[in-house]
Formats: sequence, C-alpha cells, structure tokens
Amino acid sequence: MEKFRMFFQHFQSSSESVMNGVCLLLAAVTVKMYSSFDFNCPCLARYNALYGLGLLLTPPLALFLCGLLANRQSVVMVEEWCRPAGQRRKDPGVVRYMCSSVLQRALAAPLVWILLALLDGKCFVCAFSSSVDPEKFLDFANMTPSQVQLFLAKVPCKEDELVRDSPARKAVSRYLRCLSQAIGWSITLLLIIVAFLARCLRPCFDQTVFLQRRYWSNYVDLEQKLFDETCCEHARDFAHRCVLHFFASMQSEMRARGLSRDAAGRGPEPPEMPSGLDGDGSRKAHLRAVSSREQVDFLLSTWYSSKPQLDLVASPGLWARGLNHRASTVAPGTRLSQHTDV
Amino acid sequence: MDKFRMIFQFLQSNQESFMNGICGIMALASAQMYSAFDFSCPCLPGYNEAYSAGILLAPPLVLFLLGLVVNNNVSMLAEEWKRPPGRRTKDPAVLRYMLCSMAQRALIAPIVWVAVTLLDGKCFLCAFCTAVPVTVLGNGSLAPGLSAPELARLLARVPCPDVYDGDWLLARDVAVRYLRCISQALGWSFVLLTTLLAFVVRSVRPCFTQAAFLQSKYWAHYINIERKLFDETCTEHAKAFAKVCIQQFFEAMNHDLELGHAHGAAATAPAGSAAPETTDGAEEEREKLRGITDQGTMNRLLASWHKCKPPLRLGQEEPLLGNGWAGGGPRAPRKEVATYFSRV
Repeated sequence: MEKFRMFFQHFQSSSESVMNGVCLLLAAVTVKMYSSFDFNCPCLARYNALYGLGLLLTPPLALFLCGLLANRQSVVMVEEWCRPAGQRRKDPGVVRYMCSSVLQRALAAPLVWILLALLDGKCFVCAFSSSVDPEKFLDFANMTPSQVQLFLAKVPCKEDELVRDSPARKAVSRYLRCLSQAIGWSITLLLIIVAFLARCLRPCFDQTVFLQRRYWSNYVDLEQKLFDETCCEHARDFAHRCVLHFFASMQSEMRARGLSRDAAGRGPEPPEMPSGLDGDGSRKAHLRAVSSREQVDFLLSTWYSSKPQLDLVASPGLWARGLNHRASTVAPGTRLSQHTDV
Repeated sequence: MDKFRMIFQFLQSNQESFMNGICGIMALASAQMYSAFDFSCPCLPGYNEAYSAGILLAPPLVLFLLGLVVNNNVSMLAEEWKRPPGRRTKDPAVLRYMLCSMAQRALIAPIVWVAVTLLDGKCFLCAFCTAVPVTVLGNGSLAPGLSAPELARLLARVPCPDVYDGDWLLARDVAVRYLRCISQALGWSFVLLTTLLAFVVRSVRPCFTQAAFLQSKYWAHYINIERKLFDETCTEHAKAFAKVCIQQFFEAMNHDLELGHAHGAAATAPAGSAAPETTDGAEEEREKLRGITDQGTMNRLLASWHKCKPPLRLGQEEPLLGNGWAGGGPRAPRKEVATYFSRV
C-alpha cells in the first residue's frame, strides 16, 4: 500500500504524467465506445456514404475536442499566450511547446477511433459499396446498371432479401474490407514511423532549447496550480475573518442595546480576531492587508496583467527588507557544487 | 528529501522488472490483437498474396516500433548519442548496450505476432492457396483442362468456404488441411529457432567480455537514473521557484496596499511579528532553490547540462569556471552523497 501510494504520488507530481494518464484513459474509453456502438448502415444509395463517412470522422472530432477539454494545460497555454507582457517577457517557444504537447495528447483518442473503424471495416464497406467497379466481379455480368447500383447499395446489409446469401455480395464485401484493413494498417505504420523518428531525432535539433522550454512550461503549469491553491487559502482566511467579524460585531451591537444577559460587565469584545486565528493566521500575515473585495479584484487583475518577473532576488518587498541580514550567506555560489551534490 | 529518495529507490530497484512487465503486456496485447483481428482473405488471385504478406509483416513492424517508442530510454539513448562530450567522455559500448537491451525487449511482441499467425494458419492459407499441388492432392487428370488464370482464380477461393466452387477438382478440406499443416510446422520451427537463439545468446554471453558488459550495464543504468533525478530536481526547483514567486507577489501587494491605505501601527505590528515566521518558511523554500533565483541562470544551467555534462568524478575541488559559477561546497553534503551512491 505504501509503495502504491508513493507510486501514485510520483505520477501526480509531474504534470506530464497526469496528462499521459488522461490521454490513455480517453483512448481506453474510445475503444469501449466503439465496441459498444451499434453500427447500422442505411443501405440506401445516397445515405450510405454520408453515414459511413460521418461515422468515420465525426466521433474523432468530438474526441479531439474532449481531449483538449480534459487537458488542464490547454487553458494554461491560452492564458500564457494571451496575457500582457507586464514585468515578465513572453517566450513564444514555450507557448509552442505547450501547444504541441497538448495537441499530441489530444490526437491519440481520435486516431484510435479512426484506426479501429478502418481495421473493423464496417464504416468503409458502408461508405464505398456504391462506388465499387462492378467489372471487377464476374457475378454482375448479367445485371442492368440500375440493378447493379441497387445491389451494391445493399451490400453492407447481410440480412436484406435482395442480397442474402449472394456470393456477389460476399465478394464485394470482402474486397472492401480487405482494402479498408490495408489502409488502416498503412496509416498505423505511417504514424508509428513518424512518432519513432520524432522521438529519436529530437535530440539532434537544439536539445538545450528543448530542455529550457520543457522546464519553463512545467513551471508555468505549477505556478498556476500554486496560485490557485494560494487564492483558495486566502479566500478561506478571508471568509473566516469575515464571519468572525460579523459575529463579533453582532455581539457588541446586542450588548450596546442592552439585550445581552451577560452581567459580568466585561468590556466590549475587541473586534479583532480571537487568538486561535492569530496563531495560524500569523503565517498568513502577508495576506492580511488584502481584505476587501476591491483589493482582491485588484490583486487578481494584477496577477493577470502584470505577472512578476522571474528574478527572486531583485524583487522588492519583505524579501529584501526582512532578510537583508541573511543576504551574505545567500551568495549564489554557496550551494553550487550542484553537479556533484545530489 | 526522504520521500524523494524512496521514490527513486523504488524506481531503480524495480526498473528492470517494470520494463519486463511492459514487454510482457505488449506480448499479451499482440496475441489479443491477433485474436480480435478479423482476418478476411480477399480470395482474388493477385490480392491474396499482397494481403497475407501485409498481415504477416506490417503489424510486427508496428509492434516493434511501438515497443521502442513506448520505451523512454529511446530518447535518452538519442540524447546521450547526440550530446557534445563536454567534460564527460562518451562511451560507445554503453550506447551499444542500451540499444541492444531496448531492441531485445521490443522484438518480443513482433515475434509473438508472427508465431501466432503461423500457428493459426489462415494467413499462410490465404497466401499459398494458388500454389497447392493439384495433381497430387486432387483430381490431377482434370487440371490440364483449365488455363492457368482459370486455375488461379479457382484456387484463390479456397480460403473462402462460401464462394469456393472447385470441389470437382480439389476438395477444399484437403487443401486447407495441407496448407495449415505446413503453416503450423513453420510456426513451431520459428518458435524453436527463436527460443534456441535467445538461449544461446544468454548462455554464451558471459564467456565473452563479461567485465566490459558489467561496466556498460552499470553506466547505462547510471545515465538513466541521473536523467530521472535531474528531471525530478528540476520539478522540485520549479515548484519552489513558483512558491517563492507567488509569496513575493502577495507580499508586494500587501506592502503596496498598506502604504496606500496607511493602516499605520496595526498593520506594521503584525508584519513585524510575522517576519520571523515568513522568514522560516521562505528559508526552507530558498534552500530548495539552491541559489538559482532567476530565469537567466536557470536557462544557463539547463544549457550547460546538455552541452557540458559534469565529469564522472566526485570530490572535485576546483570551481566550475567554464559555467561561470564559483564552486566549492561544504564537506558534509559530499559525505552524504558518497553514502547515497554506494547504495547503488
């Protein structure tokens, strides 16, 4: 259990692992969806192609959009792209990296659907049965063209009276399935070769830039998560203070009106927080000045319009003021037998 | 740090079994894929061979490449191959070892597919039905009466029971049994051959350069672990960086608002008393930053990790001047490092 928990924590700690997990889950859902879907070809001349191709292409589009929705990083990427530069300059390379990783993961489920549909063959047979060249098959020699078209349209439906137990139907169906499977395997082979080459050849191009972009895109993701957590903490703190403040002021109002039965004659309750909050609220003292709706709105809009610069030592505030006496021990070189110090 | 170390020990000790597990899963998936795949021979003279060859060869290639793609070590191998030597020489033997071990694991799923295909027999039947010796197995006297294309067309339908119309020439069952028998013989021979080969390679290898092999194996594992550790350290650093950045943002906001609204003593008192607590929390985060506190330095660190990997020699005293940093650290951490590495 201990090992399982650590394993799980390890995967959650990296946003890439979480995204890979979501991607695999979506692919598994796609497989299940395809196998439980009840394919029902209309077997009518013009509708076949529409139904077959529609079923081959519409669910993948929906799955692609689902893949984008399910991935938190797509929102983070759009935010990073649209934000004003503020104090932190924007790196288009990082946005491109995030975009490509989001797109790659979102494309997995649609491709699984398309490949399953092609390898299974039903969609292809339904869509292209009317487009088969009758001269390939000797069984159509003594049928009029319109009869041939009607026959071909009904090929996907095994149980239809016109085509039941007909060797011609089986021949056409087999031919189309074979073609569909060949196309499916070819696409699979092509994709896997592209994926393999991309993976192998990436280090040949600008590996250092890649490492940097990967680090900063992970950083942007983590920063967003941490900011949301900090805001939640602040909101909780804010709400707690607000509620306690309300109770305290209600109590003092009642006492002022002489409605309180407390005869001990204690002085009016101070409007500040009780010591319980002070104890763990002092850790959040740096949030205390942000104590009104307008200030919170101002804080949030500043976070978006003017993100702080990525230089911790240069930033003003308590960091420089309160910690100056430690500045001499914080020389950047102190802890940097970095490479040998694991 | 403890949690960090435990995760790494888990990964390191189980790395081989993890990779073997993946390999086993892919082999099972390959067999499952074959049974789920609906083999449908086209039963037309030219198409049979193409279809069967495709089914025998394309999926194994896909499975092999998939086995390589899924293996994270592929990009590690490519990185190690492409990096500039920097301060650490490259050892081609290590690269060869990594390539061999990855290729061996990736070959298992394709071999399973080929074996299952041959043992099942449908593919072989589809490919070679036109090459059946009719004179021996069927009514040989009737065969010359047919032209070659006619004969081919007739025999091409052998795999499809519902359209076969050549019972007068050759009973379908006879042809199917004949071809399946050959296919199964080939399948078993293939299985025997690959198993024998694997056994010989495994048994005989220690007779050749075992010492060099052990060294390559050690350094291959080392490179793998070092990369994972570097990624983990970068993630930890990014987290600490983000935490401190956000804290500073809130503090700066706090500071500005206090000045703006002039809360006076009530505001400065909690700020003053809180300074020690925030200092302690910030101290912990600052330690995790290991002195890298701005974007430029981090970028330089990442660039030099690729361009100029540190030498495989612990206990360096001289500063890393090439990277523009002053080196030299306290002795205590180095002792800790030595203990950690000796566990490997």
